[in-house]
Amino acid sequence: MKLHLHDISFAYDHDMILQNINCSFVSGNFYSIIGPNGSGKTTLLDLISGFFNPCKGSINIDETPLLSLSKKEIAKKVSLVSQDYIINFPFSVKDVVMMGRHPYIPRFSHPGGDDIKKVGKVMKACGIQHLSDRKINELSGGERQRCVFARALCQDTKVLLLDEAFSNMDINHTLQMLGLVKRSVKEKNTLVISVLHDLNLASSWSDELLMLKKGEIKASGHSQDVLTQHTIKDVFGVTSIVEFNEHAQAKQVYYPSI
Amino acid sequence: MILISLSMGYIHIPMMDIISILYGKTISNLQILDNTSETYLAVIFDIRLPRILTCAIVGAALAVSGSLFQGILLNPLADPYTLGVSAGAAFGASIAILLNLSAAFVSVPAFAFTGACTTLFLVLFLSYSSKNPMSGLSSNNLILSGIIVAAILSAGISFLKFIANEQVSVIIFWLMGSFASKTWLDFWVVLIFLMIGLFISIFFARDLNLISLGAKSATSLGVDLKKITIILLVTGSMLAAVCVSVSGIIGFVGLLVPHTIRFITGPDNRKLIPLSMIAGAFLLLFADTITRAVLPHEIPIGVLTALTGGPVFCWIFKKNRFK
Repeated sequence: MKLHLHDISFAYDHDMILQNINCSFVSGNFYSIIGPNGSGKTTLLDLISGFFNPCKGSINIDETPLLSLSKKEIAKKVSLVSQDYIINFPFSVKDVVMMGRHPYIPRFSHPGGDDIKKVGKVMKACGIQHLSDRKINELSGGERQRCVFARALCQDTKVLLLDEAFSNMDINHTLQMLGLVKRSVKEKNTLVISVLHDLNLASSWSDELLMLKKGEIKASGHSQDVLTQHTIKDVFGVTSIVEFNEHAQAKQVYYPSI
Repeated sequence: MILISLSMGYIHIPMMDIISILYGKTISNLQILDNTSETYLAVIFDIRLPRILTCAIVGAALAVSGSLFQGILLNPLADPYTLGVSAGAAFGASIAILLNLSAAFVSVPAFAFTGACTTLFLVLFLSYSSKNPMSGLSSNNLILSGIIVAAILSAGISFLKFIANEQVSVIIFWLMGSFASKTWLDFWVVLIFLMIGLFISIFFARDLNLISLGAKSATSLGVDLKKITIILLVTGSMLAAVCVSVSGIIGFVGLLVPHTIRFITGPDNRKLIPLSMIAGAFLLLFADTITRAVLPHEIPIGVLTALTGGPVFCWIFKKNRFK
């Protein structure tokens, strides 16, 4: 499966957020989007998930234009862990995760045995089965984020978009979740596109990186090629040392203390 | 199936109530009225029953409307009047009363209904932005537009009261809400709207659950947010508008009932909406019975619900927050 963005531009009112983005994402790979605040990373995911429509250009999933699909059809192909993980009403964790099955459950019917099994399995994999009957709005930020993560996994889609999905998780859970999605990428040939702020995690977990600055792609490809002192200086404006690390088996970035 | 069982359950439960109330009333009125069964029949079927049924169904409709608004606006403190629907209806009714159109009896409800609908579309228009349609209908924009429009309209109502010399008491009394002299027509009108509204809200109940996850998450789970927001807002406002045009402004039912039921059943709209409806019917019927039969003078029901509902709500709110 291939996701292709052709000459995408997007603007809020008159502020250009993304300009002439051309890129392709192929299943079986883990992609990370990196870039400074306000560089258009989240907007790019919003376009792929169909939340916004591009002002110009087209997005195709295997030759099918995203615009020609209904919201429900998109929901069966693309899932999103967004940053809005604050939930306004006291739903139980179990109910929230079950909402991930929404696109598959017909109106007026109850979740079937398969749905319940799926939810149970995913909750176990995400380590939240003990929270099952707790109220979602009584949990800590990291726990809630894991619930939202589990909900997206239950959606059982080929494409998974992660918008800073680990921002509140401790390192143990971050690695656990990353391992979970990376395994599904390799074993089930899915596609993950993740917005990450931690360059080192991005480098060691991703197959490819996409570097954004002010709505334009500054560099893309293997982390080996994308992460250099020069690009980091150019995009983030910080001085860094970039070297290959034996333990991470990838390039890692260090920031000299002043 | 759900719909049928609900409507059955709904009519059934208040019916039991009504029968017992009616029974008590007929017996206690034995001395006052002439001892003929024809009088009973007239009293029950021409006066009491339409009033009681209208009252129950208005309570039900207000509660359904309240649950919808709380779900869409993601705010447990929203109610049918947050969007200024009541102010619009009140303004329309005030104009009708002021122009002395009340001679033709339908025109006050008709004006109220028109006022409510106009206000709704004005609020939607204000909060909708063609450039950014997704965030345009956000709950903040809607609530803010509702408050602005309601503020303008209440100033308008004050002005109408000011220039209305003799009719001022009529306006004030209408605004306080009452079920006195309701007819079968009122009942059927509200019933039809309630059934339509209930069907729509049950149809979209699960989407309404998903909306509480936030706009992006709901969209990524296959909810057509804009479409559903508008459909449910119009449904909720229509219900509120019909209620206001029939009975005047009755506060707190739409706010209190769904909120209280949520404590009992949890936030799942598939249970919340039908249960709120039943509870709303009960509550308003209870309140109306008190004003009609228990209190020495009939006080406007809007005043009673606010006076009793307000403190109860304060208590629940406080207790729940510090649990």
